[in-house]
Amino acid sequence: MGPPSSSPDGRRLRSERTKQSIMEAYIELLRERPEIPTAAEIAARAGISTRSVFERFVDLQRLSLATVDHAFAMGEAQAVARNIDGDRQTRVRSHVETRAQTCEHWLPVWRVVIANLGRLDALRERVRFIRLAIVKRMELMYRLELEGLPAQERRDLLIALEALIDFESWGRMRESHGLSFDEACSVWMRMIDRLLPPTPHGQP
Amino acid sequence: MSGTEMSPPRPTRVDGRRLRSERTKQLIIEAYLALAQENSPQVPTAAEIAHRAGYSVRSVFERFPDIRALQIAATDYALVQVAALAPARDSHGDRATRIRTQVETRGQSCERWLPLWRSLVVNQGDSPELKQRIVLSRQRVIARLELMYAPELSTLTETERRYVLIVLEALTDVESWARMREFFGLSFEEACLAWRQAIDRLLPPTPA
Repeated sequence: MGPPSSSPDGRRLRSERTKQSIMEAYIELLRERPEIPTAAEIAARAGISTRSVFERFVDLQRLSLATVDHAFAMGEAQAVARNIDGDRQTRVRSHVETRAQTCEHWLPVWRVVIANLGRLDALRERVRFIRLAIVKRMELMYRLELEGLPAQERRDLLIALEALIDFESWGRMRESHGLSFDEACSVWMRMIDRLLPPTPHGQP
Repeated sequence: MSGTEMSPPRPTRVDGRRLRSERTKQLIIEAYLALAQENSPQVPTAAEIAHRAGYSVRSVFERFPDIRALQIAATDYALVQVAALAPARDSHGDRATRIRTQVETRGQSCERWLPLWRSLVVNQGDSPELKQRIVLSRQRVIARLELMYAPELSTLTETERRYVLIVLEALTDVESWARMREFFGLSFEEACLAWRQAIDRLLPPTPA
């Protein structure tokens, strides 16, 4: 029996790891400079050859999409819904802190994705999917407050909440208005509390 | 009386060449804006701009050292137009009137300027001049909000007032409007209604 690393499974594992290191190199570069990096830059950062990049991804577009998917999966894993059965204040705090951490971590990558929507149709679908996930999270966290509202009012409220907790809304609080992480969270918490209708009696 | 006193007033000398040059500059800026609006967020090339304006590429670069300089001049031109087309109205009306007017004016601005705004934001790169204009534009939105909701904001502490303005600005951002129209599929009126309801909830009660 040969060493595990030379088995087909070992090779596949190594190849998967290389793929992941390519996508992570891509994300690192996006954080440093808000432009799509070249394949050579990505390869250099990942410590492999440009050829190795194209052995795993047909072209830069496929690599870009795979990286957005990878970033989204990482973002989802970091932003698990917590305290969904807590009282109103706990739910608002939990939702805001989780969302704020996501914005803080992923804003530079998000900006590049948005700036390149016109170049890649498939990116639009990804952005749509991410926005839907943000809305679904709010529906989960604030279901008690939302369930009593007529459909149109509920929709409009979710739209306002989504605008409020958008990546760029976070970016402006931090960059233009100079708020600290905690201050910015406090703004979102207060304003979400104002926007939401009263929590039904007998509910946490 | 001296001969000088007798002579008719000398007409102001109009420098025809300078006037023509200014007119050409303006046509180039307008061509840039039209192309940026049509192909947003792509920045038009010098050849495209020259073709649209009816001049040579050389004429473009005789008036603007590079495309960035043209982009900055065009942004200034557009900012003047935005302000001119969205004057403050009903700032002394009752709460509902002020919210309605502010939202409709802002909605119309967003509707009209969305492609250009996107082009500006996407292509600001590391230009301090363009970044400064983006900041200026946002400051104007905040100033308008302060004017329209002065009675309600006057009841808040300094910090709370600042926070409400930050949130109102985020809510009524151009991209927030675009998402209502493009992503959520709302009509102009539906989008205005969504903003009106949210602003009404965010503002404190109007003082008696």
